[in-house]
Amino acid sequence: MLLDVADLEVRYGRTHAVRGVSLSVAPGEVVTVLGANGAGKSSLLKALAGAVRPAAGRIWLAGQDITALAAPDRVRQGLVLVPEGRQILVSLSVRENLLMGAYCRRDAEVGRDIDAIYDRFPNLAARRDMPASVLSGGEQQMLAISRALLARPKLMMLDEPSLGLSPLLVSRLFGLIGELNREGLAILLVEQNTRMALRAASRGYVMELGRVVLDGPAEKLANNDALAAAYLGGH
Amino acid sequence: MSASVSSRHPLLTSIGVALAGIAAVALLAVLPGGSTLAQQVVSGLMLGGIYVAVAVAFTLTIGVLNFLNFTIPTLFMLTGMVAWGLSRWGLPFGLSPGLHWAPALLGGVAVAILASLIVERFTFRYLKTRHGDATEHAIPLVSSLGFLLIFEHLVLIFLGSEAQSFPVRFRLDLHLGPLVVGLPQLASLLLSLGVVFWLSWLLQSTRTGRALRSIAESPDTATLLGVEVARIVPIVFLLSGLLCGVAGALFVVNYSDVSPFMGEHVGTKAIAGMVLGGLGSIWGAIAGGLLVGLLETLGIHFFGGDAAQVAVWGVLLAVLILRPQGLFGASRIGKGKL
Repeated sequence: MLLDVADLEVRYGRTHAVRGVSLSVAPGEVVTVLGANGAGKSSLLKALAGAVRPAAGRIWLAGQDITALAAPDRVRQGLVLVPEGRQILVSLSVRENLLMGAYCRRDAEVGRDIDAIYDRFPNLAARRDMPASVLSGGEQQMLAISRALLARPKLMMLDEPSLGLSPLLVSRLFGLIGELNREGLAILLVEQNTRMALRAASRGYVMELGRVVLDGPAEKLANNDALAAAYLGGH
Repeated sequence: MSASVSSRHPLLTSIGVALAGIAAVALLAVLPGGSTLAQQVVSGLMLGGIYVAVAVAFTLTIGVLNFLNFTIPTLFMLTGMVAWGLSRWGLPFGLSPGLHWAPALLGGVAVAILASLIVERFTFRYLKTRHGDATEHAIPLVSSLGFLLIFEHLVLIFLGSEAQSFPVRFRLDLHLGPLVVGLPQLASLLLSLGVVFWLSWLLQSTRTGRALRSIAESPDTATLLGVEVARIVPIVFLLSGLLCGVAGALFVVNYSDVSPFMGEHVGTKAIAGMVLGGLGSIWGAIAGGLLVGLLETLGIHFFGGDAAQVAVWGVLLAVLILRPQGLFGASRIGKGKL
């Protein structure tokens, strides 16, 4: 497995956000984590990225125990997070945001990779020297994903990427996720948009109050009556 | 820089302003009776050059760390007093007479940088401030106040409380028509501005500079991108120590007088310059520092020494009421400055 998580616990003071979660992501796989607000999905991703220290549990990336590594070292190992709300650096230009994505890299191909991003997203290319604050929400999400790609990750984690996007942009976003996956990138996707997430993923986990209550292949979850009643609006 | 997009590069703007200033001084100098005033403007700019370096040191720690570093005036003072102490304690390191001031001044700068790095250890690295609560800003502030007193009293213990005179007097005047420009003063203005321009280039165009600006906007996001904040923060202190050291050395070269309390005057003027120009903007700190130097010398010229203080602080208060963001700043609340 590319990512293995065993019995992860996250606490903030008296709040017990993640209670013994175990999950795995295979190389080249899209896995989604579903659940209502406050189920502990974001806390799970933050703990995996190293932004919060788990109270217990182990994390392995490509067989290596990364539980004790700080967030910057996890980026170097190939684990990146596109955080909730995109977290674009608005005081930097579009190009500088991309360069920050490649902060850990010392190779000579950064320039070529940035050019490839510009080819893929002409809107970013046209605004490359403008402050990132001028970008629209959809463009900011493209920039956030591009910035994460420039770290050349093995596994990209996305926290609610469709939040605040129009339906058209959401379908474009999921198109991009599929495209990146076909290029070989493994993706761990946290989403409120359950239907789209299950269509993009091969497997899924459902979290409730910090625990995984259900997991399995995406099409089985999509046809699960209980899940449908809870998250798919009863269809 | 700021979110307001300027089509011109700040360097071009400042070269333009500098040329206009030189033209204005030259015009003033050829007017009948204007040469004394022109002389005051020149002296004010030289003094302002020192304020600029210290103001930028303040701007850097506020911009990146949201931290008003109270040890900055003390670092400035340390440079002067240590340089004086070194030259008293048997330097010249066997150099030919007349050159021994250089290692003494460099030693002073080195001590300022070292002291700044010590402050970093004990105000940031070892203190576990919790992000988001009151300790985040209060604890570094209080511990930097502690360092101010510790450094000041160490100097009092080892170097005495008297005002001292650096053994070398730097005198070499350039006569430009009716104007007298001290060559050391001119060199120090250029050096001070040179260091600040270099710093601005570093922030704008290097990998480390981008990391610093990312931390200034959001330490959490910077960490997620792979920036090791704990390794970058000492660079801020190293640079502000360097700026204070350069300013202190230039002060010695310009005025020859050092005392354990020399930092207070320059520190308050530098803060005034920083706020006047626009908090959190390096270009604002440059403009504000030069302006405070001008206000001070012109105030002394027109109203005398005591009233000059009223002039500087009066203008500052007036600007703060009319334009709270400073003359040139577009400073925003919270993070995301520089």
